[in-house]
Parts: sequence; C-alpha cells; structure tokens
Amino acid sequence: MTSQATTSKGFDGAARLLRYLGMPIFLAFACLALYLYISSKELDSIERRNINANVITARLIEHIQLAAISTVIVVVLAVGVGILLTRPFARRVTAPIVGIANIGQAVPSIGLLAILAIIWTGGFWPAVVALVAYSFLSILRNTMVGLQQVDRSTIEAARGMGMTKLATLFRIELPLAVPIILAGVRTALIINVGTATLTTFTGAGTLGELINNALRLGREDTVLVVGSGLTAILALFVDWLAGVAEDILRPRGL
Amino acid sequence: MQTAETMINLEDLTKVFPGQDEPAVDDLSMEIYEGEIVVLVGPSGCGKTTTMKMINRLIEPTSGRIFLEGEDVTKVNSDNLRRRIGYVIQQIGLFPHMTIADNIATVPKMLGWDKKRTSDRIDELLEMTGIDLSYRDRYPKELSGGQRQRIGVARAMAADPPVLLMDEPFGAIDPITRDRLQDEFLRLQQEIRKTIVFVTHDIDEAIKMGDRIAILRTQSKIAQYDTPEKILTDPADDFVADFIGAGASIKRLRLSTVDEIEPADWPVARLSDSREEMRNKIRNSGKDYALLLDDRERPKRWVTAEHLELGTPLEEAGRPAVAIVESNASLYNTLDTMITSYKGSAIVVDEGGRYKGVVDFDTVLEAINAMRPQEQTRDRIERERRAGDDER
Repeated sequence: MTSQATTSKGFDGAARLLRYLGMPIFLAFACLALYLYISSKELDSIERRNINANVITARLIEHIQLAAISTVIVVVLAVGVGILLTRPFARRVTAPIVGIANIGQAVPSIGLLAILAIIWTGGFWPAVVALVAYSFLSILRNTMVGLQQVDRSTIEAARGMGMTKLATLFRIELPLAVPIILAGVRTALIINVGTATLTTFTGAGTLGELINNALRLGREDTVLVVGSGLTAILALFVDWLAGVAEDILRPRGL
Repeated sequence: MQTAETMINLEDLTKVFPGQDEPAVDDLSMEIYEGEIVVLVGPSGCGKTTTMKMINRLIEPTSGRIFLEGEDVTKVNSDNLRRRIGYVIQQIGLFPHMTIADNIATVPKMLGWDKKRTSDRIDELLEMTGIDLSYRDRYPKELSGGQRQRIGVARAMAADPPVLLMDEPFGAIDPITRDRLQDEFLRLQQEIRKTIVFVTHDIDEAIKMGDRIAILRTQSKIAQYDTPEKILTDPADDFVADFIGAGASIKRLRLSTVDEIEPADWPVARLSDSREEMRNKIRNSGKDYALLLDDRERPKRWVTAEHLELGTPLEEAGRPAVAIVESNASLYNTLDTMITSYKGSAIVVDEGGRYKGVVDFDTVLEAINAMRPQEQTRDRIERERRAGDDER
C-alpha cells in the first residue's frame, strides 16, 4: 500500500516534471532549428538588415513590453469591473457594461488600431489601449463567472459568522474564483501576444514589423520565417508560463 | 425549565420583502429560554427560515425588536452581532479552500484570539465532535458528509457563542447518518447547554430534537409553542394536529423512557433459590411464569411451574430471557421489543444489565393513558376531522 502510494506519487511527479519541462525544451529546440536554418542561408543586405541580434532583440522587447503592460492593465481593470458588476447594487448596469465589453472584442483589432491611430496617434500607448479593449471581455467574463459560481451557501456561512462583506470578498469569493479568473488572464495574454503583431501597422514595432517587412520586401523564406517563428515561440512560451502560474496560484483544496 | 432565563426575545417582528404585498413574517413575538433547543417547524414557505435569519440579522426585520441576553440588538453592528451567534446551515458551507483548522478558526480569528488559544480550541472542538485530530490540515473535500456536518457544528461553536442558529442542519444527510448525528448532537448539548434555534420542516426531527417546538403557519404565525409532549398529546388546533400527522400517540412514546413507568409486579427468583420456593412464588403471583436471575442480578430464564417439574438444570429450564431493554430506552422501543417477544412483556435492566423490572402491555397502556388527560378532546377533534373527510 505504502510502496504503491510512493510509486504513484513518484509517477505523478515525473509526469508533472515532463509537463513543466517539455514545452521549454521543445521551444529551445525550435529556436535552435530557426537559428541553424538561417545560418545555412546566404543572406542579402535587406535580409541582414532585418535579421540581426540588435533588431530582433529590440522587436522582441517591444513585443513583450506591449503584451505585458497591456495585460497588467487589463487584469486590474477587468477584475475590478468584474467585482463591481457582481455586487448586488450593480445588478442594473451589468448587462450594458458587458455589452460594451462585447463591442471591444467584436470590432476587428486592426480596425480598432486604425481608428485609434486616426483619432489619437500611433505608437506604443494607443497599441496598449487597443489590446486592453480587445482582451477586456475575456477577463471580465471570467471574473464574473468565477465570482458567480462561488457556492451561495459558502458566502452565506461566511456572512452568517460575522465576516464583513469586504472580508468575504477577499477571503472567500476571490480565492474561490481564482482558477476561473486565471483562465481568463491566460486567454487575454495569448490574445495580447498575438494581436501585438498587428500593432506594427500603427508604429509600435514588435515582431510584427519583421513579418510586415518580409511581406513588403519579398523575403518570405528568411525574414518571414524568423518573424512568424519567433512570434509563435513567444506565444507558446507565454501560454506555458501562464499555465504554470495557474497551477501555482490555484488555491489548494479545490 | 421554568426557572430558565430568557436568552432571545423577539418582539413584534415583521418582515416584508421588497416588492411583496404580504409580509413573510407577520408580527411575531416569542421568547426563547437559555439552554433550550427551540425548534421552528412548519410547512415550506411559512417563514421559519426568515424568522431565524432575523435573529442574527442576515435578514433585517422591517419592524419589531430583537433582544439577545436582554440587550436590544436590533440596531447594533450586524457583523459583530453574528460573531456572538453560531450559525449552521443545511449546505454547511465549509470554505473549500481552507483546511479544517482554518475553517474552525474563522470566528476566533475575527475576534482576535491569539494562535495558541485558537489552536487549543480547535483541538478541543475536534475532540468534542469526534473528529480525529489528524484531520486538522485536511480540506473539506476529503471529508464525508457526516464529518463535514460535524465540522460545521464545530466551526459554529468555535468562539463559544451562547446561541446557535441551525437551519435544517441534518437535512442533506442520509437517514442513517442523520439519526446518528442527531443523537450525537443531543449528547453534546447535554454538556454544552447552548440556546439553540433549530429550523426544520420535519416534525419527527422537531419532536426528537426540541425541548420546545414552535409550530408555525404561514407568515410565521405561531400555531402552538410548547414542549413536544404537550404538542403531541394536546394539539392546539386542527392545523397542529394535521401537521403532526398520523401516529401522534406512537410519536409520543418516543419521548418517554421506560423508567418513567411503574413496572408490573412480577415473580422473580434466583438461580440459587430452591424449586419449591419458585413454584410458590409463581402460584402466589397469579402469573404463569417467573423470571430467573443469575448471581449478578442479570435476567436468565423464563420458567413456568411445569418447566420446574421437568428436572432440567435451572440454567436451561424454560425459555431464555430475551426482550431486554435498558431503563433509558424509549417507550416506543420498549413496545417494539414487547411486540416481538415471547409473552408480550419486556425485561427492564440498568446499564450494568441488572434486573429492574418487567413491563407488559397493561403497564404501558396505563402509562399512555396517564399521559393523555385531554384524550377526550383529541378524540373528538379526530372524529370531527374524519367526518369532514368523509363528506368530501
């Protein structure tokens, strides 16, 4: 019995290790393959201007910054609004606000970017606004669903024992909603990493610039491979990170 | 019971929910005495849960006043008030993301108890409710329904509140476990002597658990507020009689123990006595058989005069003395034992198994009649009701 339990635990551990390490190892190989592929090519001057360490690092950093900052902002905003909308006093305004969030996601992201560039300006911050608007709904919806699925009797028990409304929110409702909220955050992150490539059209750089350049200059077999390859690798890596975070942050006992 | 202090006093409580014309609770006044289990029972929608939730102000009364230990708590901070009142609900509502210890520590933490005191109290409560201390660091999902219910009670009692509110606490548990938990809880209540307001829709549970029962009709109007014994033998009106349902007399038998009735006069002899002596005892008693006890006063055999003639060793003479009940058995169980016994009688023994007396149908019947001074009235009500049913 004991030995069986130990082996099964050991097996679980190994499975988890594989799950946690499998993706980074795969992505490392993908990077290596990309590097070897480009090294095997004779690059012309246009290609050399796009594919070099400085340019790639700069675009990558732009990309990560944009995705990260917009995600942080959208988490704070959407979780906050989600909490407010699930309070009893907000019952009347819930539907209209969810409707507005719906519009944010329904408008094509490239269109939203273009509108912002026209009425405001191009560059980093309009891109952040666009990403926030675009990924707002997924976190808002998950926050609301997460809070609404908390068993009413659990909340009643907390209130019945004299827990204040605020304490009930922070000690009971939010912890119990965390898994669902995190799933929304993960979705938002992926949306943001992907959509960030489009912000190149309004001057925010990012890996999208490599892709755009490749298409304009007809360097599909080199620059495009690097741009889209790195975008895919980054997206998968972020998804993996978010998955690990979900595992760590999920409350025990659920 | 008569000398008990009033713990909770409800004065003209009324609750009208917004958007409703009819009040859910209409002008309810009632006193709840210290150390008693008061059961609010009534058909669904009668407002019993609303009434209970107004005591800890989970539902704020529209008008009326609530007194706890003589203090008007109608307007005090409701969160602080609730920390003084234990609360157990049917779904239990344990916090799934917290360990058993953290669950129990909820109220002590809010009251600012130090770690040592809280931890000691957790151990004490786990012991009291019969949960192994190794469960401290487990999560609710690892527990069975019965264990969760016990933890729910332990959590409600954590800060030792004088009052406990229980909303169908055993409602979601299978019948066998429920019965055991009810017994356990009654035993626990013997020790802790809390004032308990208990809501249920099950009259049998009310009879079993309640020191006093308030039978409520719609809008929480009290149809009768009395001890279970009184309610069963003397229902105030047709509504109460209907609500108790059939078999009130049988239910009443659950409330009395066999040691409350006078045992029948029965010939008793010891295995060491002479056969002649036994024969005389049987002859003089007017009964046809005697009970033989061993040297430790434990019932062994039933014998008739004929059995004694046969010459079999006394230890094997006649019939074995079965149908034995302990003196704290309910009359209901005693009667049940008697029905299945050899001569329609049951032997009463004390906890050590020593003989205390014999009861038969006649003695039980006598006791039942003595319990029901209002027999006639009740029969009349019954007859009228039946007549009414026939007309329909």
